[in-house]
Amino acid sequence: MQQTSSSPRAASSGTVFQARGLRKVYHTGELDVVALHGVDLELNAGELVCLLGASGSGKSTLLNILGGLDVPSSGELVYKGWALDGAEEETLTLFRRNCVGFVFQFYNLIPSLTARENVALITGISRDPMSPEEALEMVGLEKRMDHFPSQLSGGEQQRVAIARAIAKRPEVLLCDEPTGALDVTTGITVLEAVERINRELGTLTVIITHNAVMAEMADRVLHLSDGRIISSHRNETRLPASELKW
Amino acid sequence: MLDPLDRKLLRDLSRMKGQVVAVSLVMACGLAMMIMTRSLILTLESTRSTYYQKNAMADVFATLKRAPLSAAERLKTLPGVAGVETRVVVDVTIDLPGLSEPATGRLVSLPEDGGPQKLNRVFLRTGRFPRPDERREVVLGESFAKANGLKPGDALAAVINGRREELRICGIGLSPEFVFEARAGETLPDHKRFSVIWMNYRALAVAYNMDGAFNDVCLDLAPGAVAGPVIEEMDRLLATYGAGGAYTRKDQPSAQRIDDELRVLHSLSFAYPIVFLSVAAFMVNAVLSRIVRLQREQIAQMKALGYSSRQVGVHYLKFVLVIGVLGTAIGGVAGHRMGEGLLVIYTDFFRFPELVYRMDWSSLGTALGVSLGASALGVMSVVRQAVKLPPAEAMRPEPPADFKPSLFERIGLTRFFSPAFRMALRNIERRPWQAVFTSCGLALATGLMVLPGAMSDSIDHLLTFQWNSQQRQDVSVFLTEPASGKGFHDLEHLPGVIRAEPIRSVPARLRFAHHHRKLSITGIPRGADLNRLLDKDERPIVLPEEGLFMSAKLAEILGARIGDEVRVEVLDGRRPVVNLPIRGLVEDFAGVAAYMDIEALRRVLKEGDTVNGAYLAVDHSQWDRFMREVKDTPRAAFVMVKRDQLAAFRETTGKNIGIIRTLYFILATIVAFGVVYNSARIALSERSRELATLRVVGFRLPEVRAVLVGELALLVLAALPFGLLFGRGLALFIMSSFSTETVRLPILIRPSTYSIAVLVVLTASAASFAVVSRMLGKLDLVGVLKARD
Repeated sequence: MQQTSSSPRAASSGTVFQARGLRKVYHTGELDVVALHGVDLELNAGELVCLLGASGSGKSTLLNILGGLDVPSSGELVYKGWALDGAEEETLTLFRRNCVGFVFQFYNLIPSLTARENVALITGISRDPMSPEEALEMVGLEKRMDHFPSQLSGGEQQRVAIARAIAKRPEVLLCDEPTGALDVTTGITVLEAVERINRELGTLTVIITHNAVMAEMADRVLHLSDGRIISSHRNETRLPASELKW
Repeated sequence: MLDPLDRKLLRDLSRMKGQVVAVSLVMACGLAMMIMTRSLILTLESTRSTYYQKNAMADVFATLKRAPLSAAERLKTLPGVAGVETRVVVDVTIDLPGLSEPATGRLVSLPEDGGPQKLNRVFLRTGRFPRPDERREVVLGESFAKANGLKPGDALAAVINGRREELRICGIGLSPEFVFEARAGETLPDHKRFSVIWMNYRALAVAYNMDGAFNDVCLDLAPGAVAGPVIEEMDRLLATYGAGGAYTRKDQPSAQRIDDELRVLHSLSFAYPIVFLSVAAFMVNAVLSRIVRLQREQIAQMKALGYSSRQVGVHYLKFVLVIGVLGTAIGGVAGHRMGEGLLVIYTDFFRFPELVYRMDWSSLGTALGVSLGASALGVMSVVRQAVKLPPAEAMRPEPPADFKPSLFERIGLTRFFSPAFRMALRNIERRPWQAVFTSCGLALATGLMVLPGAMSDSIDHLLTFQWNSQQRQDVSVFLTEPASGKGFHDLEHLPGVIRAEPIRSVPARLRFAHHHRKLSITGIPRGADLNRLLDKDERPIVLPEEGLFMSAKLAEILGARIGDEVRVEVLDGRRPVVNLPIRGLVEDFAGVAAYMDIEALRRVLKEGDTVNGAYLAVDHSQWDRFMREVKDTPRAAFVMVKRDQLAAFRETTGKNIGIIRTLYFILATIVAFGVVYNSARIALSERSRELATLRVVGFRLPEVRAVLVGELALLVLAALPFGLLFGRGLALFIMSSFSTETVRLPILIRPSTYSIAVLVVLTASAASFAVVSRMLGKLDLVGVLKARD
């Protein structure tokens, strides 16, 4: 990743993201839709954070800005001392390539590549990746590595997507409704994989969900409404994913 | 009020307007070609038929030495003959002040009684016919008058039977007999140096000792009469007057040229557009398959709402209808305009009183039917599949596409391939038919590029072959009538002549089995170095001491092969009949000819050193002197200067072929671009999710571009060799259909033509890739990934 301003801005040790007054306005036709209304936020290494909120509350916009898929209209966003607000596309690409892993509701695997090859796509381009085999082992798919997406169940496909996201040993794992398309049992398997990665690799993990139950596995729960963080709550103890019920 | 489904149709179409335009344009190219050629055919055919009818074009023609007018009376009594017109026709040299070399005039007599012509009536453009008692007044052919800036009231000098006479132009006209106006045996018109001239019978007859006689006759057949028996009777009757054998309108040089042109147009109106339309059908299929796959859920919704499968099916077929109607409209307008434009070219070749463009509306209907039919056929299976799906199933997202390692990987080549390349290979193998269709479209587009290049390659070759390798003389001089060795001696000793070779030609009918052809057998010296005969490898042929060499085309017409004996009936002098073996074939590209060693021919004719003319090589420093002398040589009927023929060719045919070639080239380029663009757009739309995923996980834009372009590039590369092969086949097919008795194109395609075809397709590909790459840059990554498939 490249330095985007003359010097790194101050950030507390262990702080991965520091956001100040993040605003995002979408211009749609004649209307301006304000998706984020000045969000202040700090996210630390090793944390598992849950973003809760109704549709249109701004949680996906926030996640996309954190992941370098979008840029804020105003405000500051610093990743480990590097400014991301106003960064060039090339910088954001490198940021995504080396620092962030994404998991979406729909698995977005390349259907023409096997599980192993889907992961290898990333290991081929990042700086210090783990092997595809190691990544797939972490999500419990060591026996399904040479299967094509069409030969895998929904849960398995989502776990391949997670393996693909973490194979680069990212600092940050961003999950946008990772269990949204899955049944309960399968969803829990997927969350176990996310939890394991957060624990074993110390990856800052941010999960967007509608499902309040999932908040119990988080260190911290942020509630968004109308583009603002309206509450922040820290769990005393994290519930293992395997014990979640909904 | 628009039906909601139609409203959806319009909005869907406007979202994919780039592709709609691309497919419609390709379709329009094919239709424009079809409409243009069909309309030209209609125009030429109807104009000719009206002209022939109005101006009484004769049915049967014959030339002879000299027959008394009483012979014509006997002709009139033959069964099946409705009318007879006798004439005196002679070729003379015309001396125009502005022209260094002599021009040729074909003097044709008007009726003796001063009345109107019964057959082949002259259409008078301006002026009037000669007054009955005027010996010097003439009606001049229109194209010659135009080319030389002559008008009624002007004068021109002609050498008539050895005497220089001044002729006064009283009118400018044209005749159905000379729609294509060229010297005998010439395949191209040279309006500057050849003209038909009509003058009073008496003036001409007296000068050529034809008073009370004629040397040319034409007949009108009674309705329902068959030409064959009439010709037989006529030949029998006129044999004693030195007749060269009568022939029908089909073999009349001018009529034959129009027939040939129509034949070429017919083949162009069919083969070439069909290829364009096939490409369009492939494209429609690809576009519609994509829409139907994309709108799987919408189809389910429509059906859930109560629309019947038929209604849904019809809705998707309307996409095809819109594209077809749009293509037909563009093609109709373009075809109409191109046809009008190209008609101008025909006015160079064919002289009609009026050549008014007629649009062939029926071809528009046929075109629409053909293109819609082909496209509908292409999409029928896609639509059927779409409407067959139960709504509940269709509303669930499509399961991930089923893939397996590609063939190359199964045989152990995996490690050589990058993930992007593997994706491309597997995609192709998963939907082989889609890949085949795309490649077919690309191959056809590549093939279309070959024809225009092949046409100019052939013409270039023809020019070098005919004007450099074969005809090395500067001038060919033909005498008014056969002369003794002295005649040749005179030509040989004209100022500046470096080398001279005699020509002896004699009209004859060649028969083999039940085929026969009337033509001139040309005798040239065995070691001829000026007008050389060449075999197909362009090696000079040394004529054998006996037997014939003939055009390969003539052998084909006669159904004869080398070694076969043909029956030669000489139609002149003592009219000997002999059997002569075919000793070899000559590759020539204009007319049909038979050659013999001049000595052998003279032995057949039982004569001495008779000549009809000579091929001459002339010292250029003496050119003007040479020309002056030739102009004053009374016995020279016509003189052909090679340089002028070449210039005339370049001015007319060369230029016109250039226009046609450019037109075809533009159409083919549109197709190449359209096909690649369409495929690239489809690939982008089908794979947007994959590509967005790659962007999200950190692939740079160029890396993602490589993945998108990789598969298409593979298909383009795979299509190129087939495209070139197909293009070769198509060019050979179309160009061999140009091959007529009067003119043939040598079939030769240079490597540069293939290279240009490849280059154009690659450029079109690069441009299309650039367009979709820009779209790729604007892809809404999040939107795509969050959408369900």
